Amino acid sequence: MNTPIRHHGVRHRLADRLFHWGMAVSVIVLGATAFLPIVGFRFDWVPLHWISGVALTLLVLFHLFRVFFVHGVRGMVPGPDDIREIAQAARGIGPEALAEAKYDAFQKGFHLAAATTILVLLVTGLLMLAKIDTTFWRRDPSILSDYSWGIIYVIHGAASLVLLFLFTLHVYFALLPEHRSFLVAMIGGQGPEKARKGKS
Amino acid sequence: MELLRHTQDAFGQRMLVGVNWDILWLPVAAAAVVIVLHLVVRALRRAD
Repeated sequence: MNTPIRHHGVRHRLADRLFHWGMAVSVIVLGATAFLPIVGFRFDWVPLHWISGVALTLLVLFHLFRVFFVHGVRGMVPGPDDIREIAQAARGIGPEALAEAKYDAFQKGFHLAAATTILVLLVTGLLMLAKIDTTFWRRDPSILSDYSWGIIYVIHGAASLVLLFLFTLHVYFALLPEHRSFLVAMIGGQGPEKARKGKS
Repeated sequence: MELLRHTQDAFGQRMLVGVNWDILWLPVAAAAVVIVLHLVVRALRRAD
């Protein structure tokens, strides 16, 4: 694992910000093309949906490269101090006695939930590409049985509902005044280097 | 309330086709509940 390069006062570097906002656009397009037809807006949603899904897959691969070869995995993996931080927050106690960290327990928890959900959506969505004709390939639904396709659709649909829940909460927490510095950092890069300001 | 959608295949057998989209409101409602709870706890903590 590489040691992250330190830039004083910079919370998110340009490549990571571009990934975040690229992912945001992809997820919004995917959500709109998935849910708008369900609530009554009729349009040819399939091409936009699968192209956005492929774009999101490429973005996630780029992010995984950055995670494994630039940032390292450890900063986002929940540890004992994160459990303590949640327990203390539930009792109204601050994290001052805990080790400082770039991401606090709640940010790590959200990231874990969102990453898992998006990976499930991408794997099931990529399988579903076998059911549509494109310029690049012909449809071949025979790769799975009808029963297996039903399971794939259920997992994809359930994960999309979980992501709708997570997305709504993410927007709410990002817009809170006390989290403004994190939102600003995701736009311009400059921001608090540590979300959990415990003992150094 | 059915959580899943089924249809019948050419042989009349019940076939799973996905999540029942009638529950689309559920994640939005769940998120709204979390947001309201958070706003209440936040307001109470600030009042202390």
